[in-house]
Amino acid sequence: MLELLSKQFFFFDPLSLFFLLVIGIVSLPCAVYSLGYLRGEYSRPKIIFSRILLAVFILSMAAVVTAGNLLVFLVAWESMSLVSYFFVIFDTTHERSIRAGTIYIVMTHIGTAFLVAGFMLFYKYAHAFDFISIRNACFIMPSPVKNTIFILFLIGFGTKAGIVPLHIWLPYAHPQAPSHISSLMSGVMIKTAVYALVRFVIFILGVDSPWWGILILLLAVSSCLVGVIYALMERDIKRLLAYSSVENMGIILLGIGLAMLFIAARMPYLAVFSLIAGLYHLINHAIFKGLLFLGAGSVYKATGTRDIEKLGGLIKKMPQTAFCFLIGSLAISALPPLNGFVSEWLTLQAFFIGALNSAGGTKLFLGICAGLLALTSGLAAACFVKAFGIVFLGLPRSNYAQGAGEAPLSMRAGMFFLSLLAVIFGLASGYIINLLAATAAAVLDVDISGMRFALNNLVLTPQTARSIYLNVPLLALALAGTAALGWIAHRLFCKFKPVIYNTWDCGYYKIGARNQYSGTAFSKPFRIAFSFFLLPYRKTQKIRESFYHVKSFAYETHTTFVFKKYVYLPLIALVLKGAKSMRRIQPGSIHLYLGYIFSALLLLLIFMNKF
Amino acid sequence: MKIFLIILQLLFFTAVAPFLSGLITKLKNNFRMRQGPGILQPYFNLAKLFRKGEVVSATSSWIFKAAPYVVISSALTAALCIPVFIFPAPLNHAGDFLAVIFIFALGRFFLALAALDTASSFGGMGASREMFISSLVEPALCLTVFSIFLQFGSTSLSAFSGIHAVSIAALIAALALFLVTIAETSRIPVDNQETHLELTMVHEAMVLEYSGRPLALIEMALHVKQMVWFFLIAQLIFPITAFSPGASVFLWCAWYFVRIFIIVLAVALVEVSVAKMRLFRVADFLGFIFVLGVIGSICAMLGV
Amino acid sequence: MQSIILFLILISTYLMVIAKRTPALIRAFRYQSFCLFWATLVIAIAEKQMELFVVAGLLFILKVVFIPQLLYRTIKRLNAAEDLGLFVNPQLSLLWALGFTYLSWLFASGLTGSADAKTMILAVAFFAVLAGIFLMIFRMTALAQIIGLLVMENGIFLLASMVSGGMPFFVEIAIFFDVFVSVLIMGFFVYRINKFFTHIDVNKLSRLRG
Repeated sequence: MLELLSKQFFFFDPLSLFFLLVIGIVSLPCAVYSLGYLRGEYSRPKIIFSRILLAVFILSMAAVVTAGNLLVFLVAWESMSLVSYFFVIFDTTHERSIRAGTIYIVMTHIGTAFLVAGFMLFYKYAHAFDFISIRNACFIMPSPVKNTIFILFLIGFGTKAGIVPLHIWLPYAHPQAPSHISSLMSGVMIKTAVYALVRFVIFILGVDSPWWGILILLLAVSSCLVGVIYALMERDIKRLLAYSSVENMGIILLGIGLAMLFIAARMPYLAVFSLIAGLYHLINHAIFKGLLFLGAGSVYKATGTRDIEKLGGLIKKMPQTAFCFLIGSLAISALPPLNGFVSEWLTLQAFFIGALNSAGGTKLFLGICAGLLALTSGLAAACFVKAFGIVFLGLPRSNYAQGAGEAPLSMRAGMFFLSLLAVIFGLASGYIINLLAATAAAVLDVDISGMRFALNNLVLTPQTARSIYLNVPLLALALAGTAALGWIAHRLFCKFKPVIYNTWDCGYYKIGARNQYSGTAFSKPFRIAFSFFLLPYRKTQKIRESFYHVKSFAYETHTTFVFKKYVYLPLIALVLKGAKSMRRIQPGSIHLYLGYIFSALLLLLIFMNKF
Repeated sequence: MKIFLIILQLLFFTAVAPFLSGLITKLKNNFRMRQGPGILQPYFNLAKLFRKGEVVSATSSWIFKAAPYVVISSALTAALCIPVFIFPAPLNHAGDFLAVIFIFALGRFFLALAALDTASSFGGMGASREMFISSLVEPALCLTVFSIFLQFGSTSLSAFSGIHAVSIAALIAALALFLVTIAETSRIPVDNQETHLELTMVHEAMVLEYSGRPLALIEMALHVKQMVWFFLIAQLIFPITAFSPGASVFLWCAWYFVRIFIIVLAVALVEVSVAKMRLFRVADFLGFIFVLGVIGSICAMLGV
Repeated sequence: MQSIILFLILISTYLMVIAKRTPALIRAFRYQSFCLFWATLVIAIAEKQMELFVVAGLLFILKVVFIPQLLYRTIKRLNAAEDLGLFVNPQLSLLWALGFTYLSWLFASGLTGSADAKTMILAVAFFAVLAGIFLMIFRMTALAQIIGLLVMENGIFLLASMVSGGMPFFVEIAIFFDVFVSVLIMGFFVYRINKFFTHIDVNKLSRLRG
């Protein structure tokens, strides 16, 4: 009986199990982390409440990825959104939390509305709720309906995933939640949207037209670039990480979009390869973004501020947290031998090999997309040099940073676990790729016995001319070996001990924390280079004692939020204007309302008379 | 045997790389009608640095101490990926062109962090500019690799050795790689290796705080990186096959070095001919390389 | 006999619609209720059912005697309650009423198909309902709203009793009780409203709009 029920409502296939793995490996350290994080921040009943909410949250995410039935999926989806909303407004003392929560809940419900519409279309054709019957019905669904459903799902799940231009809630909501929840939201919750896309579009709907893949590629590339450029400009650590999540979701969707493109072009092996790249980046991002958010949370708890312009020199005060954050930054900048490097390399290779096997226009398009992916990876590296360097290195820029201390053991344990996973997923990439190949093949129904993914050898079937090679452990060995050579060259027969002295100060003797580069200064070249998009402006204020003597000068520089200003605010104004004009049918007079009822009744009677 | 060849390759790179830098400096000075330092001056500089003690900034942490090791390791690992004596290269099964790009990025990342670690304004400035330039180099480089990939069907660095046909696409890719080399090795018009004025420093600003042996390691890494890039360009337009027993040893060695010399000459010519660009003009320059990459890809697509 | 009663009900409804002041309205309501009582009595005598006698009696006591008295007393206590507050003048109201009559005739004939006695009853009853709604919409004061409700109830009663032989006994009793209590309460509240706001103009509720 239970088995029958579970077959009806739940659906366990390799994809669901993979996502359960993602949920598991991020939830565990986050839960351990929350032990230390919440202590002292909130009252005891509130902490117990948050633990219950956390359990419900993880369970609902697990239900989303294992649901086998449209209704179960919707219930789990809604509960996931609601519980995360409660977490976003958890810090009810801050007005920003409430505002972030409002934006979040409105946007997530708009998305849910779109996907309910898609589900209704599904039901109309399948007359059943479970995935298998819908999949069978989708084989014979007419093409315009499929296109409509695809667009509905793209908007619906794209809102949750944070694709540009529907990303606007991410930078508001993720920073305001408690840090372990931010890492869960950023690491896992937005991935469930990718799961839903893969499940509903690739697995159930079945990709027929190439423009689906191309649309997703375009959206993904813009998400990448927009996300990373805004991340570079941010001075709040968690908002920086939230924008970086937008960027990485773009990279994941690059892999997924490529897979869709290749399915439509009837190149199943390349589709499997691209899907592997996308899913690998997904789990990698879950690991290192989870790690980075936990690190940011430790910094916030230790110093009381999230503003990087007030931090600095924390590596001396919180060395272990700094080390974990460094591992996270290295991983997200795609540097060998960590996991981010492998997944970005795989995505680039998927682009290249796909271009080799495509026709003219698509070839160039894929090449340019690969170039833009390289651009975002370079910008991401710059962003995390800034994030790590300004927060942890140098001298403390304010009293907040002076008074910091190392994080408690539970928080450090969570972070170390994720750092270890980042290293393992980089070194053991051959093994992981095999697992992912099995998953992707199951989703796409492809027989991959002709492909070999091994530790040092990726061989694809005859569709590619040559094999491609990547051997991360060997690279790591080479890097370590040559670094050891460097160390030997440094220390061999060295008679001198290093002399500790001040930093070179050009002869000025009052060099202090104010002379360092600030985060805004670090990202100024980017602000100027991308000013066509960022539209920066400045506000200055001079206070004069007399015409010749300026007592103080205040300088502020801002970037315009283009999406907020040019897309959302006009839209909201339009909606409000429409609502205001609709309000005129409600003047408050009882007689008018009775008149409405009366005329409706009369019209109904006349109608009935006719028929 | 393989281990011996790997060590030989490492020694070759570390031994010859400073010579190439000295050669470039000598050529530049010849063009400027000056004597200048001798060809072997970089060796003397390195030896001098090895003899000196080091001063470490009080504000810095372990990152400052670890960065030189990471930088030299990234340069040498990349060097091992290039086919020099052995075709294919020793680490051919470990990394290809894309992996080499990321390996260089690793060295750059740590160097920038070390620059920020010292809490000096020079360091911050150097780090900021270096990350700016490198992030704009990446798409140009990626597209060049793409055009190379379309021609040879693989991103492996040993894939375009032994191919004798030189096509327009390969020439354009080589030109793009040449311009990228100028950007990556901090040569005029992107950066000036001879200056210590903060207005013009990028790479020099990052290593301002280093002294003694770590500085020697970083300088050596810069030389090795430059040599790696030269070898890549040479491989592309002057491909060379493995030494076959029937051919003349002398001719093979001569051709081996002559092609590198041609590239060295080209770099020296460029350095004396143009002025250093403003930082924000560098963005336009790199955009030009991107466009070259696109054109190269189109030529490769057309099979030209 | 039946047609006379229906005719009188129709006339009284017209009188209600063209009434300018509240006492006139209440008087016309009284006439209508009396005719209704008479009709129920006729049926009760014809069918010889005890229940119908009780219903007729209740109708008389409640709607012909008690409620009009209550309303008159309310008017006397409120000073400015004589003014009915017309949105449309009596002549236009009469035209509307004629239109409603035609509409209800159309509906009734459409429903029953032929044009016999049942159609007439249905038409008049339905017209009474429409007239009640008309009173509620196009008269400003709260008292008019109460009376409109009562007229609607009259119409439904007529419809039910003449077309389907009356509603079940208990339902009738319950409805009477309902009407009784509601009018009691409404009368009381109208007094309170007047005391607080010094008027019973319902149209002024629109000032509360946001």
